[in-house]
Amino acid sequence: MTRIKRDTIAYLLIVGFSILMLTWAIPAYTPPYPGYGASPAMMPIVSVGVMLFMSCLSIVFIGVALYMNKPLPLEEREFPEDLEDGDGFTQVGRVNLYHLASIMIPCVLLVVAIEYIGYMLASFAFLIVLQYVIGNRKWVQSIVMAIILTAVLYIVMRYGFGVPVPGPQFF
Amino acid sequence: MEMIIAGLLDSISPASLIFLFGGVAVGVLVGAIPGINGPMAIALFIPVTYYMTPLTAIGFLVGLNKGAFFGGAVSAVLLRTPGTPEAAATTWDGYPLTQQGKGEKALRMALYSSVAGDFISTVVLILIAAPLAAVALFMGPAEIFALISVSLTIIAGIGTTSLSRGLVAAGFGILLGLIGTEPVTALPRLTFDVYQLGSGLSLIPVAIGLLAFSEILLQLERLSLKGDGEHAANVFSSKLEDRMVTFKEFFSNIKTLIRGSMIGIGVGAMPGLGAPVASFMSYDQAMKRSKNKEEFGKGSLEGIGASESANSAVVASSLIPLFVLGIPGNLAAAMLMGAFMIHGMQPGPLLFKENAQLMYGIYGSLMLASLFLLVIGRFGMRYFCKAVDIPAMILYPIVVFTCIMGSYLGQSSMFDVGVMLVFGFIGYFMRKFDYSYVAFLIGFILAPEWERALQQVVIISEYDTFMFFHRPVAVVLMALTFFVIARTFWVSINAGRKIRLEAASTAAGQHKSD
Repeated sequence: MTRIKRDTIAYLLIVGFSILMLTWAIPAYTPPYPGYGASPAMMPIVSVGVMLFMSCLSIVFIGVALYMNKPLPLEEREFPEDLEDGDGFTQVGRVNLYHLASIMIPCVLLVVAIEYIGYMLASFAFLIVLQYVIGNRKWVQSIVMAIILTAVLYIVMRYGFGVPVPGPQFF
Repeated sequence: MEMIIAGLLDSISPASLIFLFGGVAVGVLVGAIPGINGPMAIALFIPVTYYMTPLTAIGFLVGLNKGAFFGGAVSAVLLRTPGTPEAAATTWDGYPLTQQGKGEKALRMALYSSVAGDFISTVVLILIAAPLAAVALFMGPAEIFALISVSLTIIAGIGTTSLSRGLVAAGFGILLGLIGTEPVTALPRLTFDVYQLGSGLSLIPVAIGLLAFSEILLQLERLSLKGDGEHAANVFSSKLEDRMVTFKEFFSNIKTLIRGSMIGIGVGAMPGLGAPVASFMSYDQAMKRSKNKEEFGKGSLEGIGASESANSAVVASSLIPLFVLGIPGNLAAAMLMGAFMIHGMQPGPLLFKENAQLMYGIYGSLMLASLFLLVIGRFGMRYFCKAVDIPAMILYPIVVFTCIMGSYLGQSSMFDVGVMLVFGFIGYFMRKFDYSYVAFLIGFILAPEWERALQQVVIISEYDTFMFFHRPVAVVLMALTFFVIARTFWVSINAGRKIRLEAASTAAGQHKSD
């Protein structure tokens, strides 16, 4: 997928989101006008309006450029990192969904698991899985690091800040 | 005078000194690690400051930021991989010196230049912030509303590659910043009946997700695609002249350092530009005015001095708009604004009136942080150099787990951890699709203040549509907002036209040669 196609899809999604906010979310979840000051819906409408207007404008610009068959700027045709060496901070590029899922899923599972099996076990298991996903196949190193990190943060939270660790306590 | 003395005494209390010293040391350490920068470190450490006094907390975070700015130079010099974006210009002369076996000399020059830039900038901040704040006190809600509008537009327009995407990001940030209790009716707004959203989205999980977690997602992606980075060479030569920066060498570059500091101060005081701009601008000016132009890019101490003095000067000067107007000019200042708010203070001109002792304490801490940076950098250089070699497989799980537990720590709430993950996900896509997370975050932080100002304008003016026209400063600022929008559009349209013309002429040339 070229960058221009992807940007157009993103703009269309923003347009859809903005319309949903304006027609449903803002009217349904904003208090009624109290009779003085600005309406509570005013600022949300203004901010969503800016998003909607700018996205529509960008779609129009892209459409006009394509219609007139003008060669588009290079950055609009391909990903910058495909064209030249990045400086290490150019982060625009292809979305790697597999990679994203491989990190996000263990994190979400940790949030769920911590409520059932407690901080200690959930954190230990999470750190082992995370290191495996990252590519660490040294099991001894993985286990030792998981134990140390879990214990250090437990001590910092429990005794350093006096904050209860999340989830049930089995130990 | 009593306030000044009391504030300065507060800044030299044992707790303040310990945390300030720790902040600078941790800052240099995290700055040296490629991929971790100052704002990200502040986001990760803000939850810890919940348990500190306001002065200790702000001192710790300011120290962290100052340390991270110098730390960025360590990996720039040793690996040719800048630890922070603003250190990119330092690589051009720092790495060639490392290749010549003079890595320590390059690092020392970077340190002394950083300290010089930081010190000059701190002095300027101390001299001008309070008088400017006294003037800013005359500003009413109309001016504040207009000022926030122009700041957001500048940040969305100048700090990004596309004004439209910048404004979309700022609009999204404002929308999410409005979630919670509506100020006039005191009723929930856009909470979708989720009771945890009643008090709005907390800044800490949003900032950790957007700045730290999404960055780590990208770093891990890069790691999986390209593997672990290079390792630092041994840069500590046994020859004294390859290690030391002599007085003569330092003072021969003093003009460059002062010019760099002034550029850094100017850029830092402007919203949206940021330290990388200061650093590149200063390097460019130094090269143009230097007697030894040919040495630039081959290991010039002057080049390192220009880049480092400018980027370090941004740290203190970016606090000028924050202290004077309550508007953060860059990400680090936005995070510091969050820290002020967590401790029950609203940054702005009233700070000098209501918390004068604290402000003088912060000034004291800022000055001491420069001194600590010199001491820590000078004596800990060898140890910080080892930080660039921490294996990614050990570092990233620690950072990910710290993101998760740091989000929990703020309010002891797993809901906040969920918020952090959601914003990490959003941040990943914002970076990939080139939507400015800086504009988003500053919009998110300023949204309540912006709305409050608008409500005050509407109520005070009794619905006078032309209220803004009675306030000349507000009119000028609103006109500036529209000017920035129009100019940015004009510049981008012209740039597009130029590229199209170049592409067309290249295609025509190729056709002819065929």
